Amino acid sequence: MIGISGTGANAADRRDRRFGYAMATPSLLVLFLIILFPVISALFTSLHDYTLIAPNFDTFTGLTNFKLALGDAEFRHSAWLTLRFVIGVVALEFLIGFAVALMLNKVERFKPIYYAILLCPLLMNPVIVGLIWRMFLHPNLGIVNYLLSTIGIDPVNWLGDTKIAIWTVILVDIWHQVSFMIVLLLAGLSSLPKEPYEAARVDGANAFQCFIHITLPMMRTVIVVTLLIRLIFAVKTYDLIYIMTRGGPGTATDFVSYFIYRTAFVSLNVGEASAMSIILLTAILGLTVYLYRYMRSIN
Amino acid sequence: MKLRWSNIVPHVILSVFSLCILLPLIWVLRVSLTDKLTAYKIPPEIGHLGLENYVEIFSTYPFERWFLNSLVVALAATAISLPLATAMAYAFARFNTGGAFLRLGVLASQMLPPIILVLPLFTLFFSTGLMQTHMGLILSHLTISLPFLSWMLVSFFEGDSASLEEAARIDGATRWQAFIKIAVPVAAPGILAAGLLGFILSWNEFLFALVLSGASSQTLPIGLASMETHAGVEIAPLAAATVVSLLPIFALLPFLRKYLIKGLSLGALK
Repeated sequence: MIGISGTGANAADRRDRRFGYAMATPSLLVLFLIILFPVISALFTSLHDYTLIAPNFDTFTGLTNFKLALGDAEFRHSAWLTLRFVIGVVALEFLIGFAVALMLNKVERFKPIYYAILLCPLLMNPVIVGLIWRMFLHPNLGIVNYLLSTIGIDPVNWLGDTKIAIWTVILVDIWHQVSFMIVLLLAGLSSLPKEPYEAARVDGANAFQCFIHITLPMMRTVIVVTLLIRLIFAVKTYDLIYIMTRGGPGTATDFVSYFIYRTAFVSLNVGEASAMSIILLTAILGLTVYLYRYMRSIN
Repeated sequence: MKLRWSNIVPHVILSVFSLCILLPLIWVLRVSLTDKLTAYKIPPEIGHLGLENYVEIFSTYPFERWFLNSLVVALAATAISLPLATAMAYAFARFNTGGAFLRLGVLASQMLPPIILVLPLFTLFFSTGLMQTHMGLILSHLTISLPFLSWMLVSFFEGDSASLEEAARIDGATRWQAFIKIAVPVAAPGILAAGLLGFILSWNEFLFALVLSGASSQTLPIGLASMETHAGVEIAPLAAATVVSLLPIFALLPFLRKYLIKGLSLGALK
């Protein structure tokens, strides 16, 4: 940092490096103990026939648990459901969020009020979100079906119908998380430079052309980062399912996180559940590497 | 101002959107203030309004214990992670310690689905006697708050105080003094805001508490979830409990406004 002669700079550099590692070590030790070690232990467990009935590592089974997991129709079903859910919520939240962000970026009046309101669900506990919507969506006693009946729509079995349940969960997730998209996309929009728009207007471009040719290209990295973060968090969705449907009706909303939970704590097969969680981990790591590269390109 | 369609349409849409967000919350507040029978009436009646449900959650349910457990666990996890994360983030920002490899490792730890960690923690806690203890729960919450804070705080140390620190070093301050007397005070507002976000992450955590806590260490989300199953369909006290659980979050929100974008985008946007 502040060396004067050549050798002095080297010594200072070395001491800088040592100081850096000394500062990072306590945190790294804790991260190793509570994250890396458990992940390695999950990997170890996934290679053994480990159940909660016989919790020991006596039988090494190699990749059998992975084969069982990948061959398990229920696991594949839950992976497919999770994929549908994730694409559904990310796409819909993005479309609604972008539309609202564009409008918020346009208006001046009442903007602080709109903004304050949309922040409300953002940091709410998913358990609370699930509980209040369960209450609203109750088939006979819920307010939603009552309101629908006043405009002549028959009661809907929101959480009890195998075809509707996943859409209900998606709608509730949108209510909870759409503000995430709005806040980040609005931050991106409000930091765009004004000049390209003025130049385009002089050239006679309309609002739609401006959006396609100026806004979208300039927003690209912000959009990608926002989508990726939301996507990774959506894959983790667990609380909402546990509270609202417990994976049901049947297995209509049995997303991966919940299915792994069931395999470990209901079927008591921790070995196979660990194999599934390692498969999930691989997918998340892939997405995270992609996100990391994009985050670097923003700064 | 001229009244034009292009001016009105956004306001109409934004108002409808705001109502969609706000009405459910107002309705919960309303249910929490009605008596049990009125809460079920369809079509709804306003009826008598009072605070009986708020009294009941404290007298009939161990709400106080849930609340205190949540508070203790979230405060402890944040208090442990904050200094550790601050030191590591400073090393990342100033000395590029560990390079891209460690940074990616920290980001990946943060993105890890809790279901992946809860299985090994469950077996480890069983063999070490940490099962159902506050200590175990605090450790499990560190897996969320420590990577989050480490990652977040890097961006607070990038830029701002580097030249001040350099001046102090020329005046003879040690590296540690430059960190503790200059870098930390300059970044203090950001560090505190990140700490509040970390607290909220812990406050909202569900899966670890579900698997790793016992009757005496149960946190608020677990308590709320059990209220619903035990009491069958008693929505009025549940609504009151919901309102009380939301209070800390809404109380903290104004202090977070400035740092919310940074927090939500994991430091990518300002």
